[in-house]
Amino acid sequence: MKIASLDRYRLSFTLLVVYCLLAAAAIVILFPIFWMASSSLKPAPELFARNLTMLPIAWTLENYLNVWQGTDFPKYFWNSFKVASISTAMTVFVSVYAAYALARIRFFGRGAYGIVLLITQMFPHILLVLPLFIIIQRLGLFNTHAALIIAYTAFSLPFTIWMLRGFFEAIPQELEEAAAIDGASLLTTFHKVILPLAGPGLAAVTMFGFIRGWNEFLFALVFLQGHDLFTLPIGLASFQEEYTFRWDLILAGSGIITLPVLFFFLLMQRFIVQGLLGGAVKG
Amino acid sequence: MFLQKRARFAYYLILPSLLIITLLDLVPIIESVVVSLQSQNMGRANPDAFVGLAHYARALFDEPTFWSSLWKTLIWTAFSVIGAYLVALGLALLLHMDIWGRGFFRALFLVPWVIPDVATALLWKWLYGDEFGVINFLLTKIGVINRPVLWLSDPLMAMPAVVLVQVWKLYPVMFVVLLAALQNVPKELSESAVIDGANIWQRFRFVTFPFIKATSIIVTLLASIWTFQAFDIVYLLTGGGPAGATKILPTLVYDKAFWGLEIGYASAIALLMLIALLIISVAYLLLYRAQSDVIEEARA
Repeated sequence: MKIASLDRYRLSFTLLVVYCLLAAAAIVILFPIFWMASSSLKPAPELFARNLTMLPIAWTLENYLNVWQGTDFPKYFWNSFKVASISTAMTVFVSVYAAYALARIRFFGRGAYGIVLLITQMFPHILLVLPLFIIIQRLGLFNTHAALIIAYTAFSLPFTIWMLRGFFEAIPQELEEAAAIDGASLLTTFHKVILPLAGPGLAAVTMFGFIRGWNEFLFALVFLQGHDLFTLPIGLASFQEEYTFRWDLILAGSGIITLPVLFFFLLMQRFIVQGLLGGAVKG
Repeated sequence: MFLQKRARFAYYLILPSLLIITLLDLVPIIESVVVSLQSQNMGRANPDAFVGLAHYARALFDEPTFWSSLWKTLIWTAFSVIGAYLVALGLALLLHMDIWGRGFFRALFLVPWVIPDVATALLWKWLYGDEFGVINFLLTKIGVINRPVLWLSDPLMAMPAVVLVQVWKLYPVMFVVLLAALQNVPKELSESAVIDGANIWQRFRFVTFPFIKATSIIVTLLASIWTFQAFDIVYLLTGGGPAGATKILPTLVYDKAFWGLEIGYASAIALLMLIALLIISVAYLLLYRAQSDVIEEARA
């Protein structure tokens, strides 16, 4: 009994240390995000005060209103939404079928196809952006959203196929065999049996594709010239030159670009992490 | 007959993806090799003229920036990856324990991963600010410094400053992967180690680590590849400055291509970068193999 209580004492002490460490880590890691949120809710004079306060003294949504009404921000927002959504839809549509083939069907060249997927994930974007720039120009797609949509689809595909493959493999094969015996064609089996079961996988790749399109910077920077076409990342980056040191606008803009992805991520993080592991570690 | 039909079906299924990947990943790589051998220069009269390896020679022998950029890229990569790995490992070990609120903390620590690069860079620029930056404010307040540090505009401080941001950005993915790897450590083993009187460090060194070693190798290699070619954070935070202090290879390529307008030359530098990356990756894996052989022998 004495030993048991000693153990419990040691256990609770360890737990205390663990929680302290976790809390400390959480504070350090999340402080930048907290500070962005807090600063963006401060009126300009407070933003540039000598004495900083952790929370706004006079809370205000003024910065958000200013960036939304006084700049081209809504346009950038819409452009980003459009580019990220369309490229995600294309990515999911194409990768669902490819991943199914990779997961379930034995065909000549399957190994080679898998390797191609892995290798293309490794290509540095800074290397691809130069030749793509030339190709895009040749196709007359320079300064169009189509260029970005195609590029984002191409760059997400290898990873999303790999990710979905893991989800499909986890679905029991007997289900398909049963459908085949009932006389369903391969495509029908896939649509009616497999896809409905792969919900979490679809959610994961959808989120992954969207976050990637929403956040992408380099290709948008190189492929777009007209302000009207700017996506959020480059639109926001351009604030630095146009509105020098208007941190009120820049911070509110950063908040707006972060909010949707953060929201989706927290909502679906379980699936995304699952997919990340299915794709990345199984290798 | 049945098999053949299934296989044909598979080809239809992968065809679109193969087409897209070929056209936008594989063809561009070949194209960039071709371009690197030409005098491609926006606005030049005869851009397709073949110049052989001239661009490569220029980068390797006439361009002092190439070697210094390569060196800076190595430093940037090594410190970012080691830092991120340590943070990720520490958090993974803590959150592998069966404690209340584990799921909540796991989600929390993943958040930096989804913050857009632009927001990350701008937000850190705000934190690092000379005059109104909260980091300087807090450090002054607790008396560590008595005058603001110019984090991003002091050539000495700029590299550590951008590395810290990359660590913040990079560790979440490594954290997830390590957390999954920790699930492979058999519970009985660490329990019996406790009974044998092993302390925390010994338990980690001899029980836990061997089980996550392979995953650690893979994940640090992947993180190195990503960081070696990372562009956004550094470009947005310092643009390669001050005085070239953070001019890593991707920013050099970007400058040569889109400011210098020398696409051919920039392609050559980018391909040299890829070669350096391959050499490092292979060396890394060989080192790992050699080391694990030594350990195997020691065990036997």
